[in-house]
Amino acid sequence: MNRRKANDSHSWSKTLIGLCSILLLCGIVGVCLGLRQAGQTTVQICQDGSVLYSIDLASAEDQQIEICYENRTNVVEIANGRIRMAAAECPDQLCVQMGELNHAAMPIVCLPNHLTIQFAEMESDMDTVAR
Amino acid sequence: MRKGVLCILLLFLLTACDSTKTPAETQQEAETQFFAMNTRLSFTAYGEGAETAVSDAEEHIIHLETLWSVTDEESEIYALNHSHGEPVTVSPETAELISYAVKMAEQTNGALDPTIYPVLYEWGFTTGAHRVPSDEELSDKLACVGYGQIELNERTARLPEGVQIDLGAVAKGYAGDLITAQMKEQGIRSALLNLGGNIQVIGAKPDGSLWRVGLRDPFTQGSFGVLEVSDCAVVTSGGYQKNFTDEAGIIYHHILDPATGKPANNGLASVTVISNEGRMCDALSTALFVMGTDRASSYWRESGSFEMVLVDENGLIYVTEGIEHHFSLTTEYASAEVTIIRKQQSERTQ
Repeated sequence: MNRRKANDSHSWSKTLIGLCSILLLCGIVGVCLGLRQAGQTTVQICQDGSVLYSIDLASAEDQQIEICYENRTNVVEIANGRIRMAAAECPDQLCVQMGELNHAAMPIVCLPNHLTIQFAEMESDMDTVAR
Repeated sequence: MRKGVLCILLLFLLTACDSTKTPAETQQEAETQFFAMNTRLSFTAYGEGAETAVSDAEEHIIHLETLWSVTDEESEIYALNHSHGEPVTVSPETAELISYAVKMAEQTNGALDPTIYPVLYEWGFTTGAHRVPSDEELSDKLACVGYGQIELNERTARLPEGVQIDLGAVAKGYAGDLITAQMKEQGIRSALLNLGGNIQVIGAKPDGSLWRVGLRDPFTQGSFGVLEVSDCAVVTSGGYQKNFTDEAGIIYHHILDPATGKPANNGLASVTVISNEGRMCDALSTALFVMGTDRASSYWRESGSFEMVLVDENGLIYVTEGIEHHFSLTTEYASAEVTIIRKQQSERTQ
């Protein structure tokens, strides 16, 4: 009788350990996936604080997006999963010179046309960049 | 034994369930991004009242812009620049800003001069209509340059006919100081303020660790180093920020040497200043850029109230000893040469 009880308890413990292990594994995988997908490839194109476009570069097709501001046009280009300001009707062209968006702490900004291209969220080893 | 294993597994499971949210991250976080003062600003604050704090900060900046814009016909600076020698009553904030700019001009022996504005205008850096002025044109405009001509008596300012000021070299820094003070009064203990690349941080990060502030490489789009800081301002000036290229391929940048009226050419590519005051960082990053490495180092030794990171045109990096242990190179620049500037003038290379 006692042996049967002990066997039952032994089997219950085994099941519980198994269940816990599976749940733990699922949790770890979920957290890892969640962190990896947390906006790391999603970019936002914003104008005056409003998000005009939210695009996942991992799945976006190559394209050019034209955005107007007070009769001036910026051309945003997405190619091979990368994004940059291809052209801008602005005097300084600093946004075009910035090239591709590489860093969460350093968005591409077109000051005259109030346009920003930035990662929605990305794990970064810097909180910001002084420039 | 099995019970022990079971307990450990359950503990792990419970921990894993909550591993994505540390207590620091559960703090209230509020962020605002907007364009003002001819730049893009973003404020992030943490803790109770963060939402109100960033909203009030944005409102405050918009108000300051209405006072200090050189192009807005309603601003106090515009009124002063077009007063034809008549005295103008200004707000306490503007009086304080003018007073500070004059004080820094005196301290830097004119390396920073707020009356350089007519020369800056001639180069087209304020309008975008870039051109290279002739020596005669520069000479004419330089005749009106000189911070000693600014008269300020409490809240009454006066500029002689032909003299104009632009407080752009200190305004963002001073605005950062005002926002920092306002947020602290509102109880904010952790915040990151980015005023167009001028960085000002309140306290440490919500998790207690130091803020990691990247320093822009003046030659590429990357960052050459990182500063780990709390409760301070970090401001960088460099010729890469605003420039144009003429037909001959010569690059002209916007940091003018008040002595010549031409882009400063003293061997520096960028200057980063770290101190408790944003306005000091802002003013000195420009002035030290004009001075060049040797004069900047001497100024630092005499002053003792700030730290700095210089990058010269050859890519050599100079770091003052007070910030040495808070500075590190990024992986891409791990082999770069770093010289520590010491008070005792016995420099060594890392």
